[in-house]
Amino acid sequence: MAKETSPGQVRVEASSGGAAVSAASGFFWKRSLWVTLLRTVVIGGFLLSWEIASGRWIEPFLISSPSRILSSLISSFQSGDLLQHTWVTFQEIAIGFPLGAISGIALGYCFGRSQVLAEIFEPIIIALNGIPRTALAPLFIVWLGIGIWSKVGVVFLLTFFLNFFNTYAGMRQMDEEYIDLARLMGANRWKLTFKVILPAISPYVFIGIRTSIPFSVIGAIVGEFIAATEGIGFFIRLSAGVFRTADVFVGIIVLMLLVIVMDKIADLIERRVLAWQTQTEHVRIQG
Amino acid sequence: MGECADFMEQGFQASEQKSSSREAIENAQAGNQPVIEVENVTKAFHTPDQGMMVALEDITLSIPYGEFVTVVGPSGCGKSTLLKLIAGLTPISGGRILYQGSEVQGLNTKVGYVPQESKLFPWLTLEENVAFGLDPKRYSRQERERQVRYFINLAGLSGFEKYYPAQLSGGMGKRASIIRALAYEPPVILMDEPFGPLDAQTRMILQDELLKIWEQKRQTIIFVTHDLVEAVALADRVVVITHRPGRVKDFIQVPMRRPRNIFEIHRQEGFDEAYGRLWNIFRNELNIGAA
Repeated sequence: MAKETSPGQVRVEASSGGAAVSAASGFFWKRSLWVTLLRTVVIGGFLLSWEIASGRWIEPFLISSPSRILSSLISSFQSGDLLQHTWVTFQEIAIGFPLGAISGIALGYCFGRSQVLAEIFEPIIIALNGIPRTALAPLFIVWLGIGIWSKVGVVFLLTFFLNFFNTYAGMRQMDEEYIDLARLMGANRWKLTFKVILPAISPYVFIGIRTSIPFSVIGAIVGEFIAATEGIGFFIRLSAGVFRTADVFVGIIVLMLLVIVMDKIADLIERRVLAWQTQTEHVRIQG
Repeated sequence: MGECADFMEQGFQASEQKSSSREAIENAQAGNQPVIEVENVTKAFHTPDQGMMVALEDITLSIPYGEFVTVVGPSGCGKSTLLKLIAGLTPISGGRILYQGSEVQGLNTKVGYVPQESKLFPWLTLEENVAFGLDPKRYSRQERERQVRYFINLAGLSGFEKYYPAQLSGGMGKRASIIRALAYEPPVILMDEPFGPLDAQTRMILQDELLKIWEQKRQTIIFVTHDLVEAVALADRVVVITHRPGRVKDFIQVPMRRPRNIFEIHRQEGFDEAYGRLWNIFRNELNIGAA
């Protein structure tokens, strides 16, 4: 008898469990639909009131308008001008950001591994970090000229410190017992670094990378504001100088898109590398 | 000497049943040489307020091949510190520790270590964790795979190979942590209250599994616990350590036969005798008079 009833019980549990899951997912689906809808309304309302206000209550040369910005965006891209400026800014970031991130992570790692190194250099690094780094941008122009390399320098500087501090924080938070265990299991230096320490601190490393993305763009733009002949920063400053406000917004939109794309790429990489973490959350949600 | 003969007898019984423990027993026969010798070891810590605190004082222990030793004592008596010293994870303040007759300098990679919490590497899957200690120089690819599969099966974890530690239950994590230390076959395994935080049932099941695995492999195990029943149930010999500073109070030989039935350990011949002796020591320690 017991044998006959038990499969039945299991089936009931399974089906009720399934119903609960589908009901829950239906709820979430509806909810997310509402959220998207309301978000669209907010953004649409904002753009619409901007469009209406422009020319009626506020001078268009002050705030431009969504329609002017759109047509300006299209024409600037068609002329190829904007593409060239974007390309220059992109290059500055594409060189400065990885250099800054990698050296910041590497130094953070070294400080975490070597007590002596950390003791000697920690106060120095903290003092250097106290300098508002954009204040150093003019110096980079003096040292490296008005071409892309001075901007690469500023991008590097802004990226480096954020990555360094986050990686170093990760090294200090790390559970030393993992290292002890790995060494007892005969891990050599290479294995210890790449299979134990770097994975252990990777959540911190990714925080550094993610927070430094917008700062790398800031670095490039500040450099271009100060002295440049090309680049989005230069384009924005030039346009503002002659009150082509729509073009200023075009530049801002391009920068915004640049940050979003970079962040998205970083997000995709993070999801893959930290799969062991997201998997955890997933299971926790399932209960 | 009596101890040793006892142990060898058990060893032979095991070898008749399973041949996989050959190596350990041959070693034991060869020299009668202990695998681990702790000689007059003292460990003191600097503390911020009291100056020096002596955690362990004049500890002397000799552990032959294939012995299952449990170390019991009140919490804070330095049991875990003793394991850390044997593994070479913390420096010794005085005395010395020998492994196979030669003094341990720095890390002793010949010992496996099972920490209090499972401490599986959370970024590696179960099978990657178990394979971590399998050195590619010692094990071919196929051997590694076979070894991992064998131990995962042994611990009843098959089907979970690709799971990350956070997806495993507490008991499964413990099993994984233990087989991670067993898989690369270190001659000595140190276990630091591995079953401490588990519920009573899971605990018993894991104790049972541990003994079953051990009876096949017969590695030397030094197992730290504060649970007197666990200490007696698992061990060939129980080492009793006193409260701070930790000293070896006594050794108790456990006369129970193997294989043992963990679930009815109280009914087994020899349990009461060993447990009674152990409890007497603790009663004196705790100043509880006989009723």
